[in-house]
Amino acid sequence: MSRVKVTMGKIIAVHSYKGGTGKTLLSVNLAAALAKHGKKVCLFDLDFRAPSLFAVFNVENAECWLNDYLNGTCEISKVLIDLNGRIYGDGEFFVGFANPATEAIRDMTAKDRKWEMRALGRLLSLRNTLLNGKEFDYLIFDTSPGLQYSSINAIVTADLVVVATTSDRSDVDGTRRMLNELYNLFEKKTGLVLNKVLDSASKSKKGDMQDKIKAIYQVPMLGLVPCFCEILRAEGNLIFVQDKPDHPFTKIVDEIAKKIESNEIN
Amino acid sequence: MKEEVLGKKPLHVLEKIRENLERLNEKIEVMIELQKHGRKDLQPLSDAPLDVMTLLSMPDHLRKTAMTICRCGRATAEEIAQQTNRARAVESAYLNQLVIMGYLKKERKGRKAYFYADRECQE
Repeated sequence: MSRVKVTMGKIIAVHSYKGGTGKTLLSVNLAAALAKHGKKVCLFDLDFRAPSLFAVFNVENAECWLNDYLNGTCEISKVLIDLNGRIYGDGEFFVGFANPATEAIRDMTAKDRKWEMRALGRLLSLRNTLLNGKEFDYLIFDTSPGLQYSSINAIVTADLVVVATTSDRSDVDGTRRMLNELYNLFEKKTGLVLNKVLDSASKSKKGDMQDKIKAIYQVPMLGLVPCFCEILRAEGNLIFVQDKPDHPFTKIVDEIAKKIESNEIN
Repeated sequence: MKEEVLGKKPLHVLEKIRENLERLNEKIEVMIELQKHGRKDLQPLSDAPLDVMTLLSMPDHLRKTAMTICRCGRATAEEIAQQTNRARAVESAYLNQLVIMGYLKKERKGRKAYFYADRECQE
């Protein structure tokens, strides 16, 4: 019997109901912030339908993709790419990429239920191989939006689900439903990040806003991110936590990372 | 009890009796469970994958057991009970129910019964 060991390391799934809510931006910067705080971190691209981390980190080719690990054709150690040269800090930073080739995307969308069950088993065993075996402090899963296999597998595996949402009405409704009908059923700790908040709203009534959010979603707020034009202007070429250490967005992500490190979400 | 009464291996006989009693107990637990939740939703399936969508559609009490088995790979009712903080007999009933539903498989090794979802997931 493989016993679930008591471990300090944590798995965090970054998820959202709709696309374009800032999951990848948040995942990348959160992982970088934790690494800068001295943690050993691995960021995984679990968005097999629209892989994006390879472009964020400018990685042309990988020896093995996360797809191969989930297919059972390679070890997880071959998937991890050491990116300590990209993120400077006291910690360590690795990334596991999803294969961006169209053929690979097609292959991943055509998997059957048995394959998905085994993929869940392989994700769950990362707790043992990476958190216990390689002493990682955090594994961060950047997921696909909505209710689909790869994302729910990630959520079931995770200790904490960070939900990125916006003020868009359809996003609010969907997120609320997901909180009740998905995360709650799996008894997951959940923290909310409200993204693309109008600057004036975030400045003038921050307390009010937080109370309102808490009343709508009934889960703790991890952070409130105003709409920054600089993020749009960077066109995905910058990792703010690394490249713009004094930017307000970096400070917000730093605060979110600190909340996660101090186990504030319960 | 004197040794002559039970023959040469009294301990062995007692072990056998205990083993049989435990199996009987398990069968009774399954019957009680079937009665409690109604037979309608418990159509026996063979080799149904225990995937996340299945987990989502399960009643809460079974989901907890099934999720713990997913995390452990392979475990006895006792080991599952330690993690769910529910009684061993309760977990045993739920696990056997999941076996009947086709989501889990059961394997005996000596006196212990091990449950698992997929042979490949066992460690």
